[in-house]
Amino acid sequence: MEKLYGNKITALVLLGLTALIGVWVSLSFISMWQDDAVYPQAGFKNKMLSEYFAGIANTPVDTAVYIQTGPEKGGTVLLLGGSHGNEPAGRLAAVVILENARVKKGRLIVIPAANPMNLTHTAAQDAHPQRLDLPLPSGKVRSFRMGARDSNPIYEWPNPDTYIHPASGQQLAGNEKSNLNRCYPGVADGSPTEQLAYAIVQLIKKEKVNLAIDLHEASPEYPVVNAMVAHERAMELAATVAMELESMGIPIRLEPSPKNLRGLSHREWGDATQTMAILLETANPSHGRFRGKTDQRLVITGQDKAYAKAATLGRLYIDYKGDQPLRYRVGRHLAALGLLFKNLGEVAPDKAVEIGGLPAFSQIMKTGVGAYLADKARGR
Amino acid sequence: MLITYIYQLLTLLVLILVIRCLFREKSLNMQIVACMVLLPLALRVLMIK
Repeated sequence: MEKLYGNKITALVLLGLTALIGVWVSLSFISMWQDDAVYPQAGFKNKMLSEYFAGIANTPVDTAVYIQTGPEKGGTVLLLGGSHGNEPAGRLAAVVILENARVKKGRLIVIPAANPMNLTHTAAQDAHPQRLDLPLPSGKVRSFRMGARDSNPIYEWPNPDTYIHPASGQQLAGNEKSNLNRCYPGVADGSPTEQLAYAIVQLIKKEKVNLAIDLHEASPEYPVVNAMVAHERAMELAATVAMELESMGIPIRLEPSPKNLRGLSHREWGDATQTMAILLETANPSHGRFRGKTDQRLVITGQDKAYAKAATLGRLYIDYKGDQPLRYRVGRHLAALGLLFKNLGEVAPDKAVEIGGLPAFSQIMKTGVGAYLADKARGR
Repeated sequence: MLITYIYQLLTLLVLILVIRCLFREKSLNMQIVACMVLLPLALRVLMIK
Protein backbone atom coordinates (compact mmCIF):
# COMPACT_ATOMS: atom_id res chain seq x y z
CA MET A 1 0.00 0.00 0.00
CA GLU A 2 1.28 3.44 -0.95
CA LYS A 3 2.50 5.47 1.98
CA LEU A 4 0.49 8.62 2.67
CA TYR A 5 2.65 11.63 3.39
CA GLY A 6 1.84 14.35 5.86
CA ASN A 7 3.09 17.88 6.13
CA LYS A 8 2.37 21.01 8.16
CA ILE A 9 -0.83 21.72 6.23
CA THR A 10 -2.26 18.23 6.91
CA ALA A 11 -1.19 18.65 10.56
CA LEU A 12 -3.09 21.92 10.76
CA VAL A 13 -6.21 20.43 9.13
CA LEU A 14 -6.12 17.43 11.46
CA LEU A 15 -5.61 19.69 14.47
CA GLY A 16 -8.64 21.72 13.43
CA LEU A 17 -10.74 18.58 13.03
CA THR A 18 -9.59 17.34 16.45
CA ALA A 19 -10.55 20.69 17.99
CA LEU A 20 -14.03 20.47 16.44
CA ILE A 21 -14.52 16.93 17.74
CA GLY A 22 -13.16 18.11 21.10
CA VAL A 23 -15.75 20.89 21.35
CA TRP A 24 -18.55 18.51 20.34
CA VAL A 25 -17.68 15.84 22.93
CA SER A 26 -16.93 18.48 25.59
CA LEU A 27 -20.42 19.94 25.24
CA SER A 28 -21.83 16.44 25.65
CA PHE A 29 -19.76 15.77 28.79
CA ILE A 30 -20.44 19.24 30.25
CA SER A 31 -24.20 18.73 29.79
CA MET A 32 -23.98 16.23 32.66
CA TRP A 33 -22.69 18.84 35.09
CA GLN A 34 -26.10 20.44 35.46
CA ASP A 35 -28.26 19.08 38.27
CA ASP A 36 -31.50 17.31 37.37
CA ALA A 37 -34.56 19.34 38.22
CA VAL A 38 -36.68 17.90 41.03
CA TYR A 39 -39.93 19.35 42.33
CA PRO A 40 -40.40 18.55 46.03
CA GLN A 41 -43.88 18.12 47.42
CA ALA A 42 -45.17 21.09 49.44
CA GLY A 43 -43.83 20.96 52.98
CA PHE A 44 -40.27 19.90 52.17
CA LYS A 45 -37.59 22.33 53.31
CA ASN A 46 -34.36 22.42 51.34
CA LYS A 47 -30.98 22.35 53.08
CA MET A 48 -27.51 21.46 51.92
CA LEU A 49 -25.50 18.56 53.31
CA SER A 50 -22.69 21.02 54.16
CA GLU A 51 -24.92 22.32 56.98
CA TYR A 52 -24.01 19.08 58.78
CA PHE A 53 -20.32 19.17 57.89
CA ALA A 54 -18.90 22.52 56.80
CA GLY A 55 -15.84 20.84 55.29
CA ILE A 56 -17.75 20.12 52.07
CA ALA A 57 -19.27 23.59 51.60
CA ASN A 58 -18.73 25.02 48.10
CA THR A 59 -17.25 21.76 46.80
CA PRO A 60 -18.61 19.28 44.23
CA VAL A 61 -19.35 16.98 47.18
CA ASP A 62 -22.20 19.08 48.58
CA THR A 63 -25.74 17.92 47.81
CA ALA A 64 -29.35 18.88 48.48
CA VAL A 65 -31.17 17.52 51.52
CA TYR A 66 -34.97 17.81 51.75
CA ILE A 67 -36.78 17.58 55.09
CA GLN A 68 -40.53 17.36 55.69
CA THR A 69 -41.89 17.44 59.23
CA GLY A 70 -45.39 16.17 59.93
CA PRO A 71 -47.90 17.86 62.25
CA GLU A 72 -47.67 14.94 64.70
CA LYS A 73 -44.46 14.01 66.54
CA GLY A 74 -42.82 10.72 65.64
CA GLY A 75 -39.64 9.15 64.35
CA THR A 76 -37.20 10.34 61.69
CA VAL A 77 -36.54 8.45 58.47
CA LEU A 78 -33.67 9.12 56.04
CA LEU A 79 -33.87 8.01 52.43
CA LEU A 80 -30.83 8.01 50.13
CA GLY A 81 -31.12 7.75 46.35
CA GLY A 82 -28.23 8.07 43.93
CA SER A 83 -25.52 6.52 46.07
CA HIS A 84 -24.54 4.99 42.73
CA GLY A 85 -25.36 7.08 39.68
CA ASN A 86 -25.90 4.10 37.38
CA GLU A 87 -28.70 2.63 39.53
CA PRO A 88 -31.70 4.64 38.35
CA ALA A 89 -34.43 2.73 40.20
CA GLY A 90 -32.96 3.76 43.56
CA ARG A 91 -32.62 7.36 42.52
CA LEU A 92 -36.08 7.54 40.91
CA ALA A 93 -37.79 5.91 43.90
CA ALA A 94 -36.29 8.70 46.04
CA VAL A 95 -37.48 11.34 43.55
CA VAL A 96 -41.02 9.86 43.45
CA ILE A 97 -41.13 10.01 47.26
CA LEU A 98 -39.74 13.58 47.26
CA GLU A 99 -42.37 14.73 44.78
CA ASN A 100 -45.36 12.91 46.34
CA ALA A 101 -44.85 12.34 50.09
CA ARG A 102 -47.09 14.06 52.60
CA VAL A 103 -45.81 13.43 56.10
CA LYS A 104 -48.56 13.15 58.71
CA LYS A 105 -46.42 11.92 61.57
CA GLY A 106 -42.67 12.16 62.20
CA ARG A 107 -40.04 13.46 59.80
CA LEU A 108 -38.84 12.37 56.38
CA ILE A 109 -35.41 13.34 55.07
CA VAL A 110 -34.69 12.67 51.39
CA ILE A 111 -31.34 13.00 49.63
CA PRO A 112 -32.15 12.22 45.98
CA ALA A 113 -28.56 12.60 44.69
CA ALA A 114 -26.48 11.20 47.54
CA ASN A 115 -23.22 11.34 45.58
CA PRO A 116 -23.45 14.29 43.19
CA MET A 117 -19.95 13.45 41.89
CA ASN A 118 -21.10 10.20 40.28
CA LEU A 119 -23.89 11.84 38.28
CA THR A 120 -21.58 14.14 36.31
CA HIS A 121 -19.94 11.41 34.23
CA THR A 122 -20.39 7.94 32.79
CA ALA A 123 -17.91 5.17 33.44
CA ALA A 124 -15.30 4.59 30.74
CA GLN A 125 -16.00 1.52 28.56
CA ASP A 126 -19.46 0.93 30.06
CA ALA A 127 -21.17 2.59 27.04
CA HIS A 128 -24.12 3.67 29.18
CA PRO A 129 -26.59 6.27 27.98
CA GLN A 130 -25.99 9.66 29.61
CA ARG A 131 -29.66 10.21 30.32
CA LEU A 132 -32.94 8.53 30.97
CA ASP A 133 -35.95 10.27 29.42
CA LEU A 134 -39.21 9.36 31.11
CA PRO A 135 -42.49 10.27 29.40
CA LEU A 136 -45.20 11.88 31.53
CA PRO A 137 -48.93 11.33 30.94
CA SER A 138 -49.16 14.90 29.56
CA GLY A 139 -46.70 14.05 26.81
CA LYS A 140 -43.86 16.01 28.41
CA VAL A 141 -40.58 14.32 29.25
CA ARG A 142 -38.57 14.39 32.47
CA SER A 143 -34.90 13.72 31.93
CA PHE A 144 -32.57 12.27 34.56
CA ARG A 145 -28.85 11.72 34.29
CA MET A 146 -27.47 8.18 34.25
CA GLY A 147 -24.14 8.53 36.00
CA ALA A 148 -21.54 6.05 37.13
CA ARG A 149 -20.96 3.91 40.21
CA ASP A 150 -17.89 5.86 41.29
CA SER A 151 -17.21 9.54 41.87
CA ASN A 152 -16.07 11.52 38.85
CA PRO A 153 -12.26 11.17 38.55
CA ILE A 154 -11.95 14.90 37.82
CA TYR A 155 -12.78 15.35 41.52
CA GLU A 156 -11.73 12.05 43.09
CA TRP A 157 -8.26 10.93 42.08
CA PRO A 158 -5.85 9.24 42.18
CA ASN A 159 -7.26 5.85 43.10
CA PRO A 160 -4.67 3.62 44.80
CA ASP A 161 -3.97 0.03 43.73
CA THR A 162 -5.54 -1.06 47.01
CA TYR A 163 -7.99 1.01 49.01
CA ILE A 164 -7.49 0.56 52.74
CA HIS A 165 -10.74 1.33 54.52
CA PRO A 166 -9.63 3.89 57.14
CA ALA A 167 -11.86 2.74 60.00
CA SER A 168 -11.04 -0.97 59.77
CA GLY A 169 -7.87 -1.40 57.72
CA GLN A 170 -9.82 -3.73 55.41
CA GLN A 171 -8.25 -3.94 51.94
CA LEU A 172 -10.48 -3.31 48.93
CA ALA A 173 -9.93 -2.80 45.20
CA GLY A 174 -8.37 0.61 44.55
CA ASN A 175 -11.41 2.07 42.75
CA GLU A 176 -13.53 1.57 45.89
CA LYS A 177 -11.95 4.78 47.19
CA SER A 178 -14.33 6.51 44.74
CA ASN A 179 -17.35 4.44 45.83
CA LEU A 180 -19.52 6.18 48.42
CA ASN A 181 -20.85 2.84 49.62
CA ARG A 182 -17.39 1.62 50.60
CA CYS A 183 -16.24 4.81 52.35
CA TYR A 184 -18.56 4.93 55.38
CA PRO A 185 -18.30 6.10 58.12
CA GLY A 186 -16.08 8.52 56.25
CA VAL A 187 -13.15 10.71 57.15
CA ALA A 188 -13.47 14.44 57.95
CA ASP A 189 -10.17 15.33 56.29
CA GLY A 190 -10.15 12.48 53.79
CA SER A 191 -10.73 12.31 50.04
CA PRO A 192 -13.88 13.92 48.58
CA THR A 193 -15.87 10.65 48.68
CA GLU A 194 -14.72 9.92 52.25
CA GLN A 195 -15.77 13.45 53.27
CA LEU A 196 -19.17 12.90 51.65
CA ALA A 197 -19.62 9.66 53.63
CA TYR A 198 -18.58 11.51 56.79
CA ALA A 199 -21.13 14.29 56.14
CA ILE A 200 -23.97 11.78 55.70
CA VAL A 201 -23.06 10.07 58.98
CA GLN A 202 -23.03 13.50 60.70
CA LEU A 203 -26.53 14.13 59.33
CA ILE A 204 -27.75 10.80 60.74
CA LYS A 205 -26.30 11.72 64.14
CA LYS A 206 -27.46 15.33 64.26
CA GLU A 207 -30.99 14.63 63.02
CA LYS A 208 -31.22 11.57 65.29
CA VAL A 209 -32.39 9.43 62.37
CA ASN A 210 -34.25 6.33 63.57
CA LEU A 211 -34.42 4.52 60.24
CA ALA A 212 -31.95 5.09 57.38
CA ILE A 213 -32.48 3.46 53.99
CA ASP A 214 -30.01 3.31 51.09
CA LEU A 215 -31.55 2.54 47.66
CA HIS A 216 -29.55 0.54 45.12
CA GLU A 217 -29.64 -1.75 42.10
CA ALA A 218 -27.38 -4.64 41.12
CA SER A 219 -26.78 -7.14 38.32
CA PRO A 220 -29.16 -10.11 38.11
CA GLU A 221 -26.14 -12.45 38.36
CA TYR A 222 -25.11 -10.90 41.70
CA PRO A 223 -26.33 -12.91 44.72
CA VAL A 224 -27.54 -9.92 46.76
CA VAL A 225 -30.32 -8.80 44.46
CA ASN A 226 -34.05 -8.23 44.96
CA ALA A 227 -32.84 -8.08 48.51
CA MET A 228 -32.99 -6.16 51.74
CA VAL A 229 -29.74 -6.02 53.72
CA ALA A 230 -30.26 -5.08 57.34
CA HIS A 231 -28.01 -4.15 60.24
CA GLU A 232 -28.80 -6.27 63.30
CA ARG A 233 -30.61 -3.32 64.93
CA ALA A 234 -32.96 -3.21 61.92
CA MET A 235 -33.41 -6.95 61.48
CA GLU A 236 -36.78 -7.24 63.28
CA LEU A 237 -38.24 -4.46 61.12
CA ALA A 238 -36.68 -5.86 57.94
CA ALA A 239 -37.97 -9.39 58.65
CA THR A 240 -41.50 -8.09 59.20
CA VAL A 241 -41.37 -6.13 55.93
CA ALA A 242 -39.87 -9.08 54.03
CA MET A 243 -42.78 -11.30 55.10
CA GLU A 244 -45.31 -8.67 54.05
CA LEU A 245 -43.60 -8.20 50.68
CA GLU A 246 -43.67 -11.96 50.06
CA SER A 247 -47.37 -12.03 50.95
CA MET A 248 -47.90 -9.30 48.31
CA GLY A 249 -46.19 -11.52 45.71
CA ILE A 250 -42.96 -9.51 45.70
CA PRO A 251 -40.09 -11.94 46.30
CA ILE A 252 -37.37 -10.53 48.52
CA ARG A 253 -34.17 -11.96 49.95
CA LEU A 254 -33.41 -10.89 53.52
CA GLU A 255 -29.69 -10.60 54.23
CA PRO A 256 -28.05 -9.78 57.55
CA SER A 257 -25.37 -7.13 57.13
CA PRO A 258 -22.03 -9.01 57.37
CA LYS A 259 -20.01 -7.75 60.33
CA ASN A 260 -16.70 -8.15 58.50
CA LEU A 261 -17.72 -6.34 55.30
CA ARG A 262 -16.78 -2.80 56.11
CA GLY A 263 -17.48 0.56 54.56
CA LEU A 264 -21.05 -0.17 53.45
CA SER A 265 -24.04 1.88 54.58
CA HIS A 266 -25.96 -1.01 56.16
CA ARG A 267 -22.94 -1.85 58.35
CA GLU A 268 -21.33 1.51 59.13
CA TRP A 269 -24.48 3.62 59.64
CA GLY A 270 -25.65 1.09 62.20
CA ASP A 271 -22.27 0.82 63.94
CA ALA A 272 -21.43 4.55 63.94
CA THR A 273 -24.89 5.79 64.95
CA GLN A 274 -28.05 4.62 66.71
CA THR A 275 -30.05 4.31 63.49
CA MET A 276 -31.64 1.18 62.00
CA ALA A 277 -29.73 0.81 58.73
CA ILE A 278 -31.23 -0.93 55.70
CA LEU A 279 -30.09 -1.24 52.09
CA LEU A 280 -32.49 -2.23 49.30
CA GLU A 281 -31.42 -3.82 46.00
CA THR A 282 -33.36 -4.47 42.81
CA ALA A 283 -32.12 -6.35 39.73
CA ASN A 284 -31.06 -4.25 36.76
CA PRO A 285 -29.92 -6.07 33.59
CA SER A 286 -28.35 -2.87 32.22
CA HIS A 287 -25.84 -3.24 35.03
CA GLY A 288 -24.59 -6.73 34.46
CA ARG A 289 -21.71 -8.15 32.45
CA PHE A 290 -23.96 -10.35 30.25
CA ARG A 291 -25.81 -7.39 28.79
CA GLY A 292 -25.92 -6.44 25.13
CA LYS A 293 -26.37 -2.94 23.75
CA THR A 294 -26.74 -0.62 26.73
CA ASP A 295 -29.24 2.02 25.75
CA GLN A 296 -32.26 3.69 27.33
CA ARG A 297 -34.48 0.86 26.08
CA LEU A 298 -32.48 -1.69 28.09
CA VAL A 299 -32.49 0.49 31.22
CA ILE A 300 -36.26 1.06 30.98
CA THR A 301 -37.41 -2.41 29.88
CA GLY A 302 -34.68 -4.67 31.22
CA GLN A 303 -35.18 -6.89 28.15
CA ASP A 304 -31.99 -8.63 27.12
CA LYS A 305 -31.51 -11.85 25.13
CA ALA A 306 -28.31 -12.79 26.93
CA TYR A 307 -30.05 -12.51 30.30
CA ALA A 308 -32.92 -14.65 29.02
CA LYS A 309 -30.34 -17.29 28.04
CA ALA A 310 -28.52 -16.94 31.37
CA ALA A 311 -31.84 -17.47 33.16
CA THR A 312 -32.45 -20.74 31.29
CA LEU A 313 -28.95 -21.85 32.35
CA GLY A 314 -29.73 -21.08 35.99
CA ARG A 315 -27.06 -18.40 36.25
CA LEU A 316 -29.21 -15.63 37.72
CA TYR A 317 -30.40 -14.91 41.23
CA ILE A 318 -33.82 -13.66 40.12
CA ASP A 319 -36.72 -15.27 38.31
CA TYR A 320 -35.99 -13.50 35.00
CA LYS A 321 -38.79 -13.97 32.48
CA GLY A 322 -37.46 -11.82 29.67
CA ASP A 323 -37.60 -8.39 31.26
CA GLN A 324 -37.12 -6.42 34.46
CA PRO A 325 -38.76 -3.07 33.73
CA LEU A 326 -37.92 0.15 35.49
CA ARG A 327 -41.51 0.48 36.73
CA TYR A 328 -41.18 -2.92 38.45
CA ARG A 329 -37.83 -2.00 40.00
CA VAL A 330 -39.05 1.40 41.24
CA GLY A 331 -42.33 -0.22 42.35
CA ARG A 332 -40.44 -2.81 44.39
CA HIS A 333 -38.48 -0.08 46.16
CA LEU A 334 -41.63 1.94 46.84
CA ALA A 335 -43.50 -1.12 48.14
CA ALA A 336 -40.64 -1.92 50.52
CA LEU A 337 -40.37 1.71 51.64
CA GLY A 338 -44.10 1.98 52.27
CA LEU A 339 -43.96 -1.12 54.47
CA LEU A 340 -40.83 0.06 56.29
CA PHE A 341 -42.55 3.38 57.09
CA LYS A 342 -45.72 1.57 58.18
CA ASN A 343 -43.97 -0.97 60.40
CA LEU A 344 -41.40 1.31 62.06
CA GLY A 345 -43.95 2.10 64.77
CA GLU A 346 -44.50 -1.64 65.35
CA VAL A 347 -40.89 -2.19 66.45
CA ALA A 348 -40.38 1.27 68.02
CA PRO A 349 -43.81 2.70 68.99
CA ASP A 350 -42.49 6.16 69.93
CA LYS A 351 -40.68 6.40 66.58
CA ALA A 352 -43.67 5.77 64.33
CA VAL A 353 -44.01 7.69 61.09
CA GLU A 354 -47.01 8.11 58.83
CA ILE A 355 -46.38 9.14 55.26
CA GLY A 356 -49.17 9.52 52.73
CA GLY A 357 -49.30 10.24 49.02
CA LEU A 358 -47.08 7.36 47.95
CA PRO A 359 -48.15 5.29 44.94
CA ALA A 360 -48.91 1.63 45.53
CA PHE A 361 -46.91 -1.09 43.74
CA SER A 362 -49.92 -1.95 41.56
CA GLN A 363 -50.37 1.71 40.55
CA ILE A 364 -46.74 2.07 39.48
CA MET A 365 -46.99 -1.21 37.53
CA LYS A 366 -50.14 0.03 35.79
CA THR A 367 -49.14 3.60 34.93
CA GLY A 368 -45.34 3.66 35.00
CA VAL A 369 -42.99 5.92 36.92
CA GLY A 370 -43.70 9.04 34.86
CA ALA A 371 -47.24 9.25 36.23
CA TYR A 372 -45.79 10.01 39.67
CA LEU A 373 -43.29 12.65 38.64
CA ALA A 374 -44.22 16.34 38.75
CA ASP A 375 -45.67 17.40 35.42
CA LYS A 376 -43.03 19.97 34.57
CA ALA A 377 -41.12 20.83 31.42
CA ARG A 378 -38.13 18.75 30.39
CA GLY A 379 -36.07 18.37 33.52
CA ARG A 380 -32.70 19.62 32.39
CA MET B 1 -5.52 20.70 45.51
CA LEU B 2 -1.82 21.14 44.64
CA ILE B 3 -1.43 17.62 43.26
CA THR B 4 -4.19 18.31 40.71
CA TYR B 5 -2.43 21.43 39.43
CA ILE B 6 0.84 19.49 39.10
CA TYR B 7 -1.02 16.76 37.23
CA GLN B 8 -2.60 19.30 34.89
CA LEU B 9 0.79 20.91 34.21
CA LEU B 10 2.35 17.53 33.38
CA THR B 11 -0.56 16.67 31.09
CA LEU B 12 -0.25 20.06 29.40
CA LEU B 13 3.45 19.41 28.81
CA VAL B 14 2.69 16.03 27.18
CA LEU B 15 -0.05 17.71 25.13
CA ILE B 16 2.40 20.31 23.81
CA LEU B 17 4.96 17.62 22.96
CA VAL B 18 2.33 15.62 21.04
CA ILE B 19 1.35 18.75 19.07
CA ARG B 20 5.05 19.28 18.31
CA CYS B 21 5.30 15.69 17.05
CA LEU B 22 2.16 16.21 14.95
CA PHE B 23 3.77 19.06 13.04
CA ARG B 24 7.14 17.27 12.65
CA GLU B 25 5.66 13.95 11.55
CA LYS B 26 5.97 13.03 7.86
CA SER B 27 3.48 10.13 7.90
CA LEU B 28 -0.21 11.05 7.60
CA ASN B 29 -1.17 7.90 9.51
CA MET B 30 1.03 8.91 12.42
CA GLN B 31 -0.41 12.42 12.35
CA ILE B 32 -3.90 10.92 12.69
CA VAL B 33 -2.68 8.78 15.60
CA ALA B 34 -1.22 11.91 17.24
CA CYS B 35 -4.63 13.60 16.99
CA MET B 36 -6.30 10.57 18.59
CA VAL B 37 -3.85 10.92 21.49
CA LEU B 38 -4.43 14.68 21.70
CA LEU B 39 -8.15 14.52 22.31
CA PRO B 40 -8.24 12.77 25.74
CA LEU B 41 -5.18 14.76 26.84
CA ALA B 42 -6.92 18.05 26.03
CA LEU B 43 -10.10 16.94 27.82
CA ARG B 44 -8.03 16.04 30.88
CA VAL B 45 -6.02 19.29 30.89
CA LEU B 46 -9.33 21.18 30.90
CA MET B 47 -10.70 18.74 33.53
CA ILE B 48 -13.75 18.02 31.39
CA LYS B 49 -13.37 14.22 31.35
